Amino acid sequence: MVEVSDNLILRLDHLHKYFGGVPAVKDISFSIQEGELFGLIGPNGAGKTTIFNLITGVYSPDSGKIYYQGEDITALKTYEVINKNIARTFQNLRLFPHSTALENVMVAMQQHHTYSFGEAITHFGKWQKKEREIKSESMDILALVGLAQRAEQKARTLPYGMQRRLEIARALALKPKFLLLDEPAAGMNPEEVNELNHLILDIHSKFKFTILIIEHHMDLVMEICPHIICMNFGTKIAEGNPLEIQRHPEVLKAYLGEEVDEL
Amino acid sequence: MDILLQQIINGLSLGSVYALIAVGYSLVYSVLMFSNFAHGGFLVIGGYICYFALNSMGTGILIAGFLSLLGAGVAAVVTEKVAYQPIRENTNNTLYLLIASMGMSIVIENIFVVTIGGRFRALPAIIPTQPVHLFGLATTSAFDLISLLAAGVFLGILQIILVKTKWGLAIRAAAYNLRIAGLMGVNVNLLISITFFIAGTLAAVGGIFLAVRYTLYPQLGAITIKAFVAAVIGGLGSLPGAVVGSIILGLAEMLTAGFISSQLRDLVVFFFLVITLLVRPQGLFGKNISEKV
Amino acid sequence: MSVYAEGIVVLLCVNAIAAMGVSLLTGFTGIFSLGHAGYMAVGAYMAAILTLRYEFHFIVAILLGGVLAAIIAYVIGVPTLKLIGDYYAIASIGLGEAIRLILENGGTITRGARGFPGIPPYTTLAVAFCFFIIMAFFMFNLINGRFGRAFKACRDDYIAASLLGYNTAKYRILSLVLSAFYCGISGALLAGFLSFIQPIMFDMMKSTELTSIVVFGGLGSMTGTLISVVIITLITELFRPISQYRMLIYGAILVIVMVIRPEGIMGQYEFGRKLGKTLKEKFLGNHFSKEGGKS
Repeated sequence: MVEVSDNLILRLDHLHKYFGGVPAVKDISFSIQEGELFGLIGPNGAGKTTIFNLITGVYSPDSGKIYYQGEDITALKTYEVINKNIARTFQNLRLFPHSTALENVMVAMQQHHTYSFGEAITHFGKWQKKEREIKSESMDILALVGLAQRAEQKARTLPYGMQRRLEIARALALKPKFLLLDEPAAGMNPEEVNELNHLILDIHSKFKFTILIIEHHMDLVMEICPHIICMNFGTKIAEGNPLEIQRHPEVLKAYLGEEVDEL
Repeated sequence: MDILLQQIINGLSLGSVYALIAVGYSLVYSVLMFSNFAHGGFLVIGGYICYFALNSMGTGILIAGFLSLLGAGVAAVVTEKVAYQPIRENTNNTLYLLIASMGMSIVIENIFVVTIGGRFRALPAIIPTQPVHLFGLATTSAFDLISLLAAGVFLGILQIILVKTKWGLAIRAAAYNLRIAGLMGVNVNLLISITFFIAGTLAAVGGIFLAVRYTLYPQLGAITIKAFVAAVIGGLGSLPGAVVGSIILGLAEMLTAGFISSQLRDLVVFFFLVITLLVRPQGLFGKNISEKV
Repeated sequence: MSVYAEGIVVLLCVNAIAAMGVSLLTGFTGIFSLGHAGYMAVGAYMAAILTLRYEFHFIVAILLGGVLAAIIAYVIGVPTLKLIGDYYAIASIGLGEAIRLILENGGTITRGARGFPGIPPYTTLAVAFCFFIIMAFFMFNLINGRFGRAFKACRDDYIAASLLGYNTAKYRILSLVLSAFYCGISGALLAGFLSFIQPIMFDMMKSTELTSIVVFGGLGSMTGTLISVVIITLITELFRPISQYRMLIYGAILVIVMVIRPEGIMGQYEFGRKLGKTLKEKFLGNHFSKEGGKS
């Protein structure tokens, strides 16, 4: 299904992860092309977030390898993975709640505008120029996600949908080549989901980077992702375009089964 | 040869007292994930209750001991309710708990200093200390054997509580994940109170034995530093680790005192701490400490 | 200025330098320490020995006192601060005690528990004040910029910080080393002010005093720390006759502040650029910025 190409940005090779003997991820392999908008769907507990945690080095896999732009990143620490220009958001938000929206973005943005320790304690040299760049570029990103008016507000006092967008803004401030979004629409109403769809498509076309989205609800992914994988119980059950996924019997079973369970 | 054996028995005895303190501290650490620096205060409270029960009320050792354990247990629960529960309910920042526990430790110590004074008090001869000859191989004191035995009994009781009772199971579940234990319908505040009560009573047992060994004074609680170090050597939050770490420290201290110099015995403790942190920072039985989790 | 008043000002400067160090570590980076008086002891003895025995210029001796404290902090910090948990807090008690024991058993080098007399009185009012101004300038600059934001990120959520590309262990260790440097300088100045030092001056009580000052001033507020230094140093002087209650008061401050207002008197506010905005919010806008007016 996935054409062989030199433009692979990410390749997962037979990943396994167990928690206390229970498999969370079982023999997962897939590849993502540079520039793709890639969806990863599956019912709750399918192991989607575990995949993100494995990619970003929050967990290490029990077996299997992760390659990013051809390089083995399996054993790297989280910050080392991130410094390869990968960024992610969280399913349950992890903003710095007592900092303002602007500060939340600046702490990511400053990774690309550093100055020396000597300049930091004296405010001589590049300090002023760099701080100004950090602030103005952070404001640009806040404007992009529609939070420019809220820049000085504490993150925890923002409405939920805005907190989600702030997290995306913070990830964008890392200027990633590869962005992982973990259930960006969780807890949003249909109108907010619609706005989010536009935002994701916007930033994808604007920054020309690769995006991997996890979603529990199929609608968002079906609408915007041309290439989708579906997981259940830690294994890959289907891969293809939205139409193929929608018709795949295993996918129907996974989601139908879940709906029956929820009743 | 007899001196070696004698020092080993002394070391085991001292180590077993550290174990009583370290296990209670580790139990609290495993549930709330913070170092309760007020733990030494519970030990001092237990010691003073025992002292006043024996001297002023003229009770026997069993009743005095019972009152001491009960009092220290209640003091631990009150400390938790007054100082920690409000913070727990406001934030999940354990730094605040750490600071509050430091404050409580100072408050407890200095309440004794300003009310009954800082002088050293000797407990009456409630525990026999006459020499005992062990099969002609070595000479030790009855006190050392009794404290070893008492520590064994109390740690055995704790083990039974943890393994056989419903609340013991809940404490073990909470040590795994407090939030999930709460979700499973465990009354978290009650569970934490029970944990503190157990920790307080164990500290009181340790306090009585330490008071007999070294006399009683408000700063006696500072000796819990050694129990903390023992807990780190064994692995923070691990109960078997706390016991093993305590025994190692007790032996190291007594052997140093017996064969090298008694001035160096405290430095040996910190030497062990540094070696542990450099070579095996998660301790002998530790797990889950790297940032990866 | 009377000699007494001059002494108080010098003491304020000395305490403020140490408290800024602890504030950076505990308030901005979220690391709890019980042994910072130990770093003061290292600075004090280093400066005392260098000036008295080897006739170093006092400024060099003071700086080397800070550097030695920083080196010791680095050695202790690397194994303990890479771990999550209270490892550093416990090691810091051990460190404080070990430094005291080493100084007490140091023979002719440290002159043991009875103390080290005859240190040249190099800490004049001018010296103490200049050191305070320079160290405060560096500290306020540091927290107002990329390092300050990084420290706070590591404090608030180390997982989120590492997912923004921060090597959080590196920042924790940096914060510790800087705070030990400040405490070392402070100790060295204290040695030159008193002319006589003793291991017992740098006990757990001194460490607790530093932490109480920082907590009372507000975790994450350098301005709060400075205000708190003034208040607590003056209170300590005023209540010297009832000094047996001093520790009880420190302990109670720690508990009460944590229970009632963990942000301390200042919260995370800083004077300076934010002053106008802060005052406006406090007096005019409290009703509409209930959340913003806090913390």
